[in-house]
Formats: sequence, structure tokens, C-alpha cells
Amino acid sequence: MKISLNEIKKYVDIKIPTEELLKLIGSRLVEIEGTQSLKEKYEGVKIVKVVECEKIPETHLSLCQVFDGEKNVQVVCGAPNVHTGMLASWIMPGAIVPETFGNENFRLSVKKLRGFESNGMLAAADELGFSGADHDGIIEIDPKDANPGDIFSDVFGMDDIILDIENKSLTHRPDCFGLIGFAREVAGILGEKFHEPEFLYHEEVFPEGFLIEKDGNLVAKDSKVSIKIESAEICPRYSCAVLEVKEDFLKKGKYFKKSDVFLYKADMRPVSPIVDITNILMLETGQPLHAFDYDKFIAVGGTEKPEVLVRLAKEGEKLQLIDEKTIDLSPNDILITSNNIPVALAGAMGGKNTEVDVSTKKIILESATFSLYNLRKTQMAHGIFSEAITRFTKGQPASETFNVLAEAIKELDAKPLDFADNWMSGPKANVVKITTQEINSLLGTSYTTTQIVKCLENVSFSVENDGEAMIITAPAFRTDIHIKEDIIEEVGRLLGYDNIPLSLPTKHFKMPEIDPIISLKSSLRTILSDKMGAHEVLTYSFVSEDLQKKVNENPEDSYKIVNSISPELQCFRQSITPSLIDKIRENLKAGFSDFSIYELNQVTKKSLGLTEEGVPKMETHLALVKIGDYYSVKKSLEEMIDFLNIEPLSISENTEKSYFESLHSANLIYQNKIVATFGEIQTRILKKFKLEGPISAFEIDLEKLLSLPKNISKSFNLSKFPSVTRDLTFKTNEDIKFIDLERDIESILASKELIFELTPVSIYRPEKTSKTKNISFRLTFSSKKKTLDSNEISAIIEEVTKKLIDNYGVEVI
Amino acid sequence: MSKIEELKQELKNLGSEYAKIKTLPPEERKAFGEKINKKKQDILAQITKLEEEEELESVEKIDLTAPFAENETFKAKKYGTKHPLTQELEKVISIYSGLGFDILEPFQLDDEFHMFESLNFPAGHPARDGYDTFRTAEGFIPPAHTSTMQHRALKKYKKNLDEGKNIAVAIPGRVFRNEDVDATHEHTFYQCEGVFVSKTATMGEMLGVLKQFFEIYYGQSLNIKTQPGYFPFTEPSVELLIEKPKSLGGKGDGWLEMLGCGMIHPNVLKCAGIDPEVYKGFAWGGGIDRLAMLKYQLNDIRYFESGKLEFLKEF
Repeated sequence: MKISLNEIKKYVDIKIPTEELLKLIGSRLVEIEGTQSLKEKYEGVKIVKVVECEKIPETHLSLCQVFDGEKNVQVVCGAPNVHTGMLASWIMPGAIVPETFGNENFRLSVKKLRGFESNGMLAAADELGFSGADHDGIIEIDPKDANPGDIFSDVFGMDDIILDIENKSLTHRPDCFGLIGFAREVAGILGEKFHEPEFLYHEEVFPEGFLIEKDGNLVAKDSKVSIKIESAEICPRYSCAVLEVKEDFLKKGKYFKKSDVFLYKADMRPVSPIVDITNILMLETGQPLHAFDYDKFIAVGGTEKPEVLVRLAKEGEKLQLIDEKTIDLSPNDILITSNNIPVALAGAMGGKNTEVDVSTKKIILESATFSLYNLRKTQMAHGIFSEAITRFTKGQPASETFNVLAEAIKELDAKPLDFADNWMSGPKANVVKITTQEINSLLGTSYTTTQIVKCLENVSFSVENDGEAMIITAPAFRTDIHIKEDIIEEVGRLLGYDNIPLSLPTKHFKMPEIDPIISLKSSLRTILSDKMGAHEVLTYSFVSEDLQKKVNENPEDSYKIVNSISPELQCFRQSITPSLIDKIRENLKAGFSDFSIYELNQVTKKSLGLTEEGVPKMETHLALVKIGDYYSVKKSLEEMIDFLNIEPLSISENTEKSYFESLHSANLIYQNKIVATFGEIQTRILKKFKLEGPISAFEIDLEKLLSLPKNISKSFNLSKFPSVTRDLTFKTNEDIKFIDLERDIESILASKELIFELTPVSIYRPEKTSKTKNISFRLTFSSKKKTLDSNEISAIIEEVTKKLIDNYGVEVI
Repeated sequence: MSKIEELKQELKNLGSEYAKIKTLPPEERKAFGEKINKKKQDILAQITKLEEEEELESVEKIDLTAPFAENETFKAKKYGTKHPLTQELEKVISIYSGLGFDILEPFQLDDEFHMFESLNFPAGHPARDGYDTFRTAEGFIPPAHTSTMQHRALKKYKKNLDEGKNIAVAIPGRVFRNEDVDATHEHTFYQCEGVFVSKTATMGEMLGVLKQFFEIYYGQSLNIKTQPGYFPFTEPSVELLIEKPKSLGGKGDGWLEMLGCGMIHPNVLKCAGIDPEVYKGFAWGGGIDRLAMLKYQLNDIRYFESGKLEFLKEF
């Protein structure tokens, strides 16, 4: 939202420097996202009178003499509407064209056009930097507003600063979506008097005796307008007036006016007097207005007099809007109907069937409030994001509809033909009872009652004291005040949160609990990155169906994002490995050839089911993908398990169909259950990623990892006696499994009360076609009791070799 | 005989000369002793000097600027790296746990109740729009803030209150918003939430705790300030700004917007079964990506989820 500081100054005297004011607004009202000073933008723009204007033959250009208050200057102008006698805006040579200010800063000069000297230019509204303005000619200024030689900036109030307000932090403050409400807050912050504009209270717009009281509402004496509202929830109040349209209401005037500038400063643009006045009032008060063509309205309803019914739409109903689109209405949408026929989507947009046009004779001007909840859904469903609905969805107060409508009538200088009002919800005061102690104890302050009362009264609250507590009544437009905390917030904010003395809570001595998954993730990062040389990556939790299909995952088992940014990000991922495989190619291309990447993150799939709370069960996984074969990832996994101080686990063949190459992948097993699968990714799948193998991976559920038994007492068996080392090589049949040999050797060494280490040295197969392979082990051992002599050593070695010969028919080499 | 050996011999001779001290009258002994000692020190100094010179001659001269010794080949040491965001997350976790906060992790798919209802967002409230949430076909929501865990944290640690202690929980996690991605916007990012409840919690304490956090995080004392904010689940609500720290080039003038915070709304406490008349609390949530971007002066948030080793190997 854009706020003009000049407008604020109309309602409150500002006695402090602008910079300080902005700081205070920032710290006590709302975040200012940016400010724009307009003054510099308009340096070198003057009002001039066109005293001579002649077409240059065979061009669209005119040769003009303009009077700048002192002298005549020659300017060539291409605008179709330039004519003798008009007042125009002139950008002098040497000045920057305002439209380009802050960007390319295009500076004008004296130059020749078609052989004629041209000094600067006569400007159109867009060239003056009014964004969204038409470019159908140069602006013409009303002689009542300015004289030749006047400075443009002075005439149109361009010595101004525009504040860009962060709307989100004002979501609960409908009053601040109007300049007046915003200014009231500024007054409150500064402790200055707020000059309440008179029109918020006037009734004198209506002729004496025109209005009478009926059912608690003011309506025209012989009002013919009936207003029915389905429920106060959807429409707390609906006021409207029937006005006779004057000739110049409906078409844009020929002059560029100060009110145009007012609209441009708020990022809106002039349309026609009737639209402009309703928009200006909306910007000032936060209350949007809407005009219907009176004759069309009653014709649609087929009635003699307007019969307004505000109701919810019915399933299957349709409405063509002013923007020509026909929308399907939902039972959430609020409709304005004429005798039950829809004529407007309330708060959002008028219907085509009652649109005001150049032939309109009479209008019904509506000033109403609607349920912000319904309107919010309407906004989302139909994609309507106008300035009006932005305000309605904050919950405009019902108390203001009458006043704003009265002011509109006055501004339009129109004679009211009829007037009706239905305040369904009726006026309601928001009263909160609270003590000074309650305020101070939540803020941590020691404000006095006097300080508190003064600051609240400054922003139109009324405070009474019943001896025990303050009874605080919020002004009618503060629809956000309901509970004690609302008052505490007002006091804290207006007196400055930055004035609260800081303190620290009392700490109770206890060991903080850390989610074990968080601790495990931290240990894994240290192991994988710091000890094992892997790189941690983060990738999106959302993946494409395409990616899932590539790796044989079933997209149907994924939770799908219905409003995803793109199909690439539609499925919540079931595993992390595919995302990592997807990152390999790019890194290979960037010149990395030998690397491991891993990610720790959550995954889920529908088949995992829901938790007790009814939300999807999540698993935190570790996935690692590396350039290398089965053995390289096996080594990584085993090292990691070892660093985690988990007992070594056994391995089984992988029979599950997945993205792994079945003969080059295996399961890590604990108590007959699969802890993780690891191995090489299928070549066929790698091809889809334009990759060549071997590329291998593992993925593991951290809950499973946490459940594995730890080597509690890693015994430090340091022998006092010398150790011996022997290398043994066995020639075996190709089917013999390494692990079987290893286990048998281990079992013998373990049975001898030895401290030993068994390490694989090499596995050698002379030719691919060879039926045998040579496996070498290194045995290092010592006795716990004595120094082993050569006989004892030979006996151990012999026992080992004998067992392997007996069990596997190996040949010792 | 080398010069050093000569000197060593001289030193030995000096030892036998010193033995003469016993033959001298007591009044001369002191002067004699000092004289011998002086000679001894001189010889020792000469020996050291000669030995140093000798070593200098024997040690081979090398190119101190070369990356490795001659006749060797280059071997790259393979270091792994932790992701810059998880590094910051871990740092944040360690500070909060050091301050006594329990640490919980949010779910990456959650429901409407934890995202909005339990946090005092009435159904259909426009404040829900600000969160640009994603939704699954089943109506689940990838959380748009770590506040999804507030209700769970309050319920889980309510027992602390019954024991006369505080609730103090920090919740770091991944959050999602339906935003178009550009240099400063990501649909996936990280936040850390904090929740504190006691009988006597005040806004002054909240600001005190947060100031302390940032002082520990940046390793210096810092000024803080606030600006009003609006969150349905806290009231009063503010945005916290800190003075730009020296490590980020701050000179005591600039401010950085760090997080949103406020006093927990009574409806949020009530919803978790905590009596808001007896207990008060405060909560906050701030972005982790921003901390990392400031720290490393990154100008493009998209690097974080890019999986590019060129980027990651720098951390």
C-alpha cells in the first residue's frame, strides 16, 4: 500500500524531521518497505501556455511557441491534442524526463526535429512518471489551477514522500487501510492532536427533513428502496443512495487534476469523476463504494422500485461481470441481487447487466460491508485482487458506511433522490476491562495508569475507571479490539516496545532434551563430511512423477501437491536417492569426477499410513550416492556403521525390485530384518539420467539406525606380548563367499584366547573366465598370556588352513 | 680436532680447575667460583653458536613457496563438506540447547489444525493467505512455518509447568511456501522456532532472550529494536531487528530484520490445555537461510538447493 506523507500531514501536525517520523512509524505502527521522494523527479517541469501552434506539413508534429511566465520558447510537439491557448506541462532542456527518473535518467536537450529547433518537451501523463496513465496526448491543465510559469511540483503537490507499506502487518487493522485511519495512528504515536475530518460525522448533505429514522436507521422519508439481507454474518450493513447523474459524471474530464495525482500516488489512475470520487473516498476512509445503473437495476429485477437482496449464491448460478467474464458462482459467494436476480459479486466486482455507461441517467450508489471470510474465498476462487476487495477482506467497520456515502454525495455535488440503510448487525461497542498491573506484567514494564489512559485516548479510545480496573471502549472503527491482549498490544506499541526494559527468565537446571534424530543427523554429518570426505547436499522435497517413474517408484503412492509451482515439484518424495542421482550429471559436467553426495531429510508415502494425530508418518532418511561400484559404497556404509560404533551387521542378497542392480546390490541385515539396501544403480536407469556407471548408493531410515545395538564396551585389548603377522593366500572355487572364509578364520582365532586382527589383503582372479580366485588375508595375533613360540604359531596357522581346506576345498598358496 | 670438540675439552678442563676451589681460603672462594662459572657460560655459548652454524650448512635449501617437495607428485586431499544451511542450523541448535531449550523437529507434511487452527487462525481468516501454503489432494500441508510444532511442544512439555518449571523449546526445520523462485525467494527454506512459557514471562524477557541469542551467535554485544507485526498466534506481536554485527561489516548504523515474535495468544495456550490466566508465554520464528546468506554474503538463495558441488565445496 502506498501512503502519501502530504496526505497524512492534512490530519496531524508533524513537528519532527521526516527521518525521525519514519523511524517512529516503523517501530510503532508498521514496517515501511521503502520510501520514494518525488521532489527531485519533477525538477525542471513547469506549467506553460501554448501561445502559437502550427502543424508542420507532412508530419504529425506541431511547431509551438510556449510562454513559460517570462518568455516564449519554441517546442516541437507530436501530441494530437496540443492547441493554442492551452496550459501544458513543459520539461525544460537539461531536465530529466520524470518517467525515466531513477532508471536511465534521460535528460532533455535542445535539438532539431525535422529541421526545427525544439527546447525540451510538452509532456503526457506517462512521461511525467504517472504509471498506468494513458498516452493519448499531453496533459491539459485547468487555468483555475495554475498560471504559466508555475512550478509543476508546487501546483500538484509533488514535494512529497511516498511510503511503501508492508500490508501483511496491518491485516488486522482495517482502519489503517485508509489514509485517515493511518494518520490517526501517526497522531497517536507522536502524541499530537488528530484533526478528525468533519465529514465523518455530517448529515447536512441531505436536505432538511429528507431523512427520517426507521427501525433505528436513517432512511429517506418516502424511500422506495427496499434492502433485504439474508443474514448479518454475510452483510452487517448495506446503505445506498439513488442519485441523478450529471452530464460530466461518467466521462473523463479534459483537464489533468490534483485528484488525478492523488490517485496516481496511490498506484491507481483516473477513470471518470464518479469512479474517481469513490476511489478517492476509499483511499481516504478504507470504505469501498459501488455504483449501479438505476434503470438497468430495476429492469433486471422487473420491479418498479429497487429491491435489493443480499444473499449467498446458489450452486449452478452464473454471473457476467463488468470485465466480460462469466463466472460460476459458489455457495460461498455473496451476491447483490435485484429482486433476487444477481447484479454484482459483493465486494469484488459489479455485474455487466447493471454497469454504468455513458447513457446512465440515475445511479444506485452502494456503501456496504461484507463478511471478510466469504470475500476472501471469493477472492481466491475468482482471482479478483482489486483495491476494494483488499480492503473488504480486512473487515471494514459497519459504522462508517453512512458517512462515506454522504460524503460521496457531497463530492459529486449530486441531489439525492432516495436513500436507504439496513444495519443488520446493529452498532456494537467493544469493551475491555483490564488493570494497569495486567498490562505491566505482560509487557514487563511499569507504566502508570495516567500514561496508559493518555496514550489510549490519543487514538480515540475512551477510558473509565470503576475503582478496580479500567473499562476501555474501543472506537467503532477498531473492529480488532476484543480481549485484554489487544489493549496490552496498543499500549506496548504506542508507548514503544523499544522502551521495555530487558530481562532474562529464571532458568531451571535440567538437561535439555534433544530429539535423537537431530543428534544422529549431526553425528552423521561429522562422520560423512569430516571423516569420510562426502559432500552434504539439500534438494527439494517435491519431485516430478517423471523422476519417480525413472527409478521405478509408484507416483500413486506419493502425496501430491495440488497447487504445485510446476509438474517438476508435484509429488512429495518417497526417497532421497532419486533426487541425488538427478544431481550427478550436472556435477560431472562441472568437472567433478570422483565424489559422494548425501542428504539427510524427511520422506513419506501414502503406504506408510498416518500417525495417531492423523498426519502422514514421516521417515528421516540418509541417502548417499557416489561415483563407484558396489564395493565402494559397501565400504562407505560399513565405515559409517563402524564410526557410529554400531556392531558390524550381516549382508544378504537383494531380491526386491527397485532401482538397484540386483546382482550388484545387497541388504544390510539386523536380526533378519533389512536395515538398508545398497549397491549399484541399474545401468538401464542411469541411462535415463544420461549417466554411465558404476554409480552406487544407499538409503537408510534413521529410526532403524537408532535402533541398532551399540558396541557399548569397545575393549582396548592391548597385549603385553609381541604379536605375529602372517599372510595367507587361498585358491578357491569362484562360488566360495569371502564372508564364509573370513568367519571361519575368525572363529578359530577367537577360540584361542588371542588378541587378533584379520584384514583382507587382496582378491585376485587371473581372467574373467577363470573358475577360481585367490583370496589373501593378513592375520595379526598375539596371546593374552604369553609370548607365542614358533610351534604354537604354526599350529594356529595349520588349524586355520585345515579348516578351510576341509570346508571349502581351498588350496593354500 | 674440530673447534667444537676443542671447546668441549676446554669445558672438561674447567671442571678440574674448579676442583681447586676447596684449596682456597673461604673468602676467595666466591670470586673464584664466579670466575670459573663465567668462563663456563662463555664456552657453552660459543658451542651453541657453532652448532647452529653447522646445522645451517647441513640442511638442504628448499623453495618455501612450492606446494610440495621435489620429486613428489600432487595428491589432492579429499575433504567432505557440510551444507552451509545445516551448519547454521546446528549452530543455532547448540546455542538454544545451551540456554536450556529442548529441541524438536517438525514434520514436513502436516495438517490444517497444526498449521492454522491451533495457532488462532480462524477458518477462512485472511491472515492464512500470507503463508502461501502448498496443499496435497488429501488436504495435508507442507508446513509454511515451524510454528506447526508450537501446539505439540506446549502439550508435550506441559508437565514442566506442573513441576513448577518452564516450557522452553526450540524447533529447527524445513518449511515450504508457494512462491516463485528467484534470487531472493525460495519455495523451500529453513526456520527455527522458539517457545517459552512460565508463570511470569514478559515481553521484556522475550526481548532479553532473543538479544542474548544473537549476541552469542555473533559473538559480540548488540543493540536490538522492534517494529510492530501481526501474527494471529501472538499478541502483542513484533518484528525483531538487530544492529548489523561487526562480522557482517556493521559500523553501528544499519539494522537487520531477523525474526517475528510476540507474546503467545491466550487462545493458543488454551488450545494446548494451558490456563492463560496463570501462564504467559512468548514465541518466535526466524529464517536460517537469511543467517547463512548474510554470513557468506550470498546474493542468490537458489544455490542452497542446487546440489552444486562447485558451491558446496566452499563450506
